[in-house]
Amino acid sequence: MFRRFSRRDFLGSAVLAAAAPFFEVKALRGVNFLLQNSPTPHKYLIETMPGGVALFDYNNDGLLDIFFVNGGKIAGALRVPENFERSDSRYWNRLYRQNRDGSFTDVTQAAGLGNAGNGNYGMGVAIGDYDNDGYPDIYVTNYGKNILYHNNGDGTFTDVTAKAGVSGGGWSVSAGFLDYDNDGHLDLFVTRYMEWDADHNKICGGDWHTYCPPAEFPATTNVLYRNRGDGTFEDVSGRSGIAAKKGRALGVAFADYDGDGFTDIFVSNDGMQQYLYHNNGDGTFKECALESGLALTADGKGLSGMGVVFQDYDNDGQPDVLVTVLPRELYSLYHNDGDGSFSYKSLEAGLGALTSGSSGWGVGFEDFDNDGWKDLFVAQSHVLDNVEKIDASLSYKELPLLALNHQGRFERADSGVTTPLAARGAAFGDINNDGWIDVVVTALGGPPVLLLNRGGGGEGNHWLCISLRGTRSNRDGYGARVSVNGQTRFASSAGSYICANDKRLHFGLGSAAKASVEVLWPSGAKQVLNDVRANQFLEVREPEHT
Amino acid sequence: MIQLAMFLWLAGQSATADSAQQHLQAGLEARKQHEVELEIAEFRKAIDADPKFAAAFAQLGAAYMEKRDYASAIASAKRALELSPDLLVADQVLGYALLAQGYAAEAIPYLERAGAQDALGIAQIQTGQLTDAVANLTVVIAQRPNDPDVLYYLGHASGLLSKSAIDTLLANYPDSARAHLALAENYFVLRQMPQAEKEYKEALRLRPDLPGLHLELGLVYANSAQWPQAEEEFRAETKLQPGSAEAAYRFGSALLQQGKPHEAHVELERANRLKPDMPETLYTLGKASSLDGDAVTAEKAWTKVVELEKTTSLAAQAHFGLAGLYKKQGKTAQSQHEMKEFQKLQSTIGPPRSE
Repeated sequence: MFRRFSRRDFLGSAVLAAAAPFFEVKALRGVNFLLQNSPTPHKYLIETMPGGVALFDYNNDGLLDIFFVNGGKIAGALRVPENFERSDSRYWNRLYRQNRDGSFTDVTQAAGLGNAGNGNYGMGVAIGDYDNDGYPDIYVTNYGKNILYHNNGDGTFTDVTAKAGVSGGGWSVSAGFLDYDNDGHLDLFVTRYMEWDADHNKICGGDWHTYCPPAEFPATTNVLYRNRGDGTFEDVSGRSGIAAKKGRALGVAFADYDGDGFTDIFVSNDGMQQYLYHNNGDGTFKECALESGLALTADGKGLSGMGVVFQDYDNDGQPDVLVTVLPRELYSLYHNDGDGSFSYKSLEAGLGALTSGSSGWGVGFEDFDNDGWKDLFVAQSHVLDNVEKIDASLSYKELPLLALNHQGRFERADSGVTTPLAARGAAFGDINNDGWIDVVVTALGGPPVLLLNRGGGGEGNHWLCISLRGTRSNRDGYGARVSVNGQTRFASSAGSYICANDKRLHFGLGSAAKASVEVLWPSGAKQVLNDVRANQFLEVREPEHT
Repeated sequence: MIQLAMFLWLAGQSATADSAQQHLQAGLEARKQHEVELEIAEFRKAIDADPKFAAAFAQLGAAYMEKRDYASAIASAKRALELSPDLLVADQVLGYALLAQGYAAEAIPYLERAGAQDALGIAQIQTGQLTDAVANLTVVIAQRPNDPDVLYYLGHASGLLSKSAIDTLLANYPDSARAHLALAENYFVLRQMPQAEKEYKEALRLRPDLPGLHLELGLVYANSAQWPQAEEEFRAETKLQPGSAEAAYRFGSALLQQGKPHEAHVELERANRLKPDMPETLYTLGKASSLDGDAVTAEKAWTKVVELEKTTSLAAQAHFGLAGLYKKQGKTAQSQHEMKEFQKLQSTIGPPRSE
């Protein structure tokens, strides 16, 4: 007989649900990577910034592999040209191949990805199939020269930086592949932080002896490389208008915010206004963050912009922007109003209470409970490793933030991480192909952490994971707008901070067992699939003819 | 014969007195010309002419003070007072010189007699007579409100008096609510929030009705980004002190921080009624009412901020808010005007940074 559900039963179940951590926090089996940032008393600012992580399937075996960017060795006082001893294997970047049993094997040496050059201190990573050969390539950003590794398709990579012409220089941080001119070839955007080298380092904070704020160093320009389609790139930073503005860029994310069919670029700057580069569709960009309402907070203040995500959090079909920042600010959420402008929504979305005491780096809007609403995850830690001495209410190491999205309003949930981290990178993807989005977090001076999603709170919800296969568009389908049952994702592996996410597009379907899928490809082709079965990995191939 | 002798002696005395007076005047003239050595020489001649000329000794002491020769100044002033115990100039010189030499306690009677309240206040700070020091320096600051030395010493004395009172409180009544409150405030200033929270809570346990306690504990939570707790404390303070504009403002701000614009709007309206035209309240009211969909109140509040603040960073923020408000209303020209005003202020006061 039906038993009336009492208030006590309800409270009991609520407590149980609240107590269950969302992720199982695990070490990655077979992964012995240690992020070497080499902090020194010299307080070189680069020490605070690495290291990226990429989730991608380099050998096309259907399993996500992991690439980690390492910092380098700083033994003491540096002089230009700096030597970070990257030939020492302890300071190598690392590629781990995932095995069928969920463990990983270090294939760095065999893949030819070991020594990243003694003059390069590692920062971030971007993933994209720039030559459309079906194998994802790796771009590594450094303080120094950046490196493009071509995936040879046989488990090895070749450094093609010189041939491709994408070495950059200076202090590069985040990067991402995009097809800004819709020619079917992935272009490359690289953020650069500031003009800095070891000979021009400063120490701040008086007796506290801290890293200096960014305003102590000159701003610099970002770089846009156009893919010529022949394995080489052209630096179009000046011609495109990207280099017209200097900044202190840390993060970058892409989406077509105004629906004109061209991918736009959002750049998070540290300690100043943010930049939104509107793609004019003719190879040029116009920086329009102030006019669009994205440059500053609601109080007209600049941001310590670090990580960024450019996805639709409120299921209105328009990509929104979230920027992670330092404490006393709020993670800034800008709602895309659909008319080319954005509204600052941090307070309404509940981020005031959740984020005003934290520092955020890697960030993602991902539907962790498959309820059809993208949740928020942020890798957190202050920049200053001695911040507690300066302000006892702050902490250098923090727990990551997991906040579930309840129809556009975020509420804290238990990530399962119990040990505070000096977290930096966060990459998102379904590592064990179980239909639930997982997270890999990097932490300064420590091993990476795997947050394996056990579906906490979302049991019974369905999902759909879509791989795009461009034909006329770039093969990865980056820049496509994919809608599933009223949700929208903009295809890109960029975003977060210095990381590359699983390029597959994950959608939580809630109780829906079937889905309607609409793909608007960068080529302009529109594709609709109805009655798509839930709980599957689906490849959507772009029609070759209109 | 005797009469003649008396006449000659008296005549001689008169000549001596005239000569001493002339040298005294010459010394004072030399002082006006800032010729200290000449000043000293003239006062010495005055004393040579009349060894019992108290005023000359006093002025000689003053001249030594100018030379920072405090030991000589003390000797001269003491001699002057021996000769003429009521000579206030000598009291003043001796008081200043003793104080300059570090003999504050010895200086005090002379400074009191001379009515030199500024130096007296300083001497009283050094001898720990802090209440008297504050009283004297308060009188002086009323006469010389922009004197940096007096401002410094008044602040210093007040701080020491405050510390002394708190030390006494902590020593004699360590378990009192006020003692815990004092400790809490100290921790708060040091940004040691967990300790501050503990002490405020203990104070509240002992005196739950003490005005201001919930407000201060709320500020601890706000500074630690614990907004739900801050909201509860500010709410409790508004119940305890319904007439406190600050409590209403803080409560409204905490509500806004947590994304409760309607409740924040109501509370900030109340704060504004309790104490109108406070720029911070008006600015936050503008934000809350804007988020609450009350564009009329937002416009009114921000316009008032601009009127009150004119060129401050808060005025810049209000211009920025108005620009966004007008943009949403389709008032393009007004929006552009406000944005220009915002940018103009940014260029003069520097780009606004988050705290």
